[in-house]
Amino acid sequence: MNFNIDFTGEFFAFFLLAVCAIVGAVLAINFEKVVHTTLSLAFTFVSLAGLYVLLEAEFVAFVQVLLYVGAVTILMIFGIMMTKHQGEGKEPGRPLLEALAAIGCLCLFGILFYAIRSAGFPAPAADLPEDNTLSIGKLLYSAYAIPFELVSVLLTVAFIGAVALAKREEEDS
Amino acid sequence: MQRYWDTPVTWGHAGLFLLGALAVLAVVILFVTYAIYFERKVLGWMQYRRGPNRTGPLGLLQTVADVAKLLIKEDTIPAKADRALFILAPALAFVPSFLVLAMIPYGLHLQFADLNVGFLYYIALSGVTTIAIVIAGWSSNNKYALLGGMRSAAQMISYEVPLVMSVVGVAMMAGSLNLRDIVLYQEGYFWHWNFLPQIVGFAVFVVAAVSELNRTPFDLPEAESELVAGYHVEYSGFRFAFFMLSEYIYVYAIACLATILFLGGWNPPFPQLDFIPGLIWFALKFAAVVFFLFWIRATLPRLRVDQLMGLAWKVLLPLAIANIFLTALGIEWFGKGG
Repeated sequence: MNFNIDFTGEFFAFFLLAVCAIVGAVLAINFEKVVHTTLSLAFTFVSLAGLYVLLEAEFVAFVQVLLYVGAVTILMIFGIMMTKHQGEGKEPGRPLLEALAAIGCLCLFGILFYAIRSAGFPAPAADLPEDNTLSIGKLLYSAYAIPFELVSVLLTVAFIGAVALAKREEEDS
Repeated sequence: MQRYWDTPVTWGHAGLFLLGALAVLAVVILFVTYAIYFERKVLGWMQYRRGPNRTGPLGLLQTVADVAKLLIKEDTIPAKADRALFILAPALAFVPSFLVLAMIPYGLHLQFADLNVGFLYYIALSGVTTIAIVIAGWSSNNKYALLGGMRSAAQMISYEVPLVMSVVGVAMMAGSLNLRDIVLYQEGYFWHWNFLPQIVGFAVFVVAAVSELNRTPFDLPEAESELVAGYHVEYSGFRFAFFMLSEYIYVYAIACLATILFLGGWNPPFPQLDFIPGLIWFALKFAAVVFFLFWIRATLPRLRVDQLMGLAWKVLLPLAIANIFLTALGIEWFGKGG
């Protein structure tokens, strides 16, 4: 095992973002108030977007921020604010379960670490296109046009379904 | 951006970035100081008053005095507030508003980050400020603040949709989301600028942008007469100043975006006027947009809250979608664009 590290900008950015993502995720589990949990989840989303930028996938990165941070998080916060949040007490600890979970997590970490260290990362056959947003757009509307349209039909169905459900509840009350 | 990643980081690079960021911060703070002064003057003149004229020559130091007052004011945190979030919210509102400025091209070579998804970057980050406003309203533990935060979130999310849709037409014509490419596409006479071929898109953009800025006639989140002051009721001192600062930085960003996307950026109205530097043209158009924002604030009444959502979903969104279809047809028939 050798860790040959040169201190490039990419290195610093990666470690900063990785630590932020992990901190956000850990805090999301540990916080007791639901609003705090949601916010730390949003923090993780932003850090992941930063990792996408590092991988030169700017389009995916900003769509991630737009949808997950801008829309999903606000939806969750709305949901939390509309409901009651008293009586969020601490649950009694369960030592046996926690110990088993810790062992399981360590095993998973070991497997993942081994797999990543022993994996080879072959260089891609062709160079990445200069303007990858343009290439994504072109592929979406040519080679992947039918899956793209199917997804939009699915979204429309979900949208109409949500409206129908909300309407029915309104009539009931 | 890429070139800095593969080379080792030196203190020189870090210092260069720091200096650049500080320079932008200085420009923006100067802009905010005099935008507030200008706004109060314009409002004063339009209402047949004089506006601020006591502090300094012509009242030029009025905003400086106001900011100094805010900074030395007592900082209050309500006893029942969620302390951590109450403190976090102003910073969370300010940081994205400042980050947004990184991608604005003021000239062909005057830009920090040349992103190929420039406009998307703005929209994505301004969503983070919405979270901050909701959090500010919630953590204050105050009915008015919570109502203001809720209104603001609903409004900003609703108007984000037509705002993005209205720019799709511009992106289709230029064949790029990169702000620099969009400006380069608009070279030539002033009728080549996007606001004429994209007149519907421009109209939708202006309405949606004013609403995104929470300014009159869309200032429902902080409607003084209904909600006291909306989400920042409980804030005072420098935390309140941070909210105000980020609001005005968004004015700056939106005025820059309107200039770039629809008014030709740094291009002169006639190619013969090329000898005047592009930065001056940019500044002139930018100032005109800012004046327009103050002008409508002085003349239009506030919308009712039930009309607000209807306007976004039933008027602006269909118009923006129709604009996309028309642009597609235009590109198909006249072969313009990418």
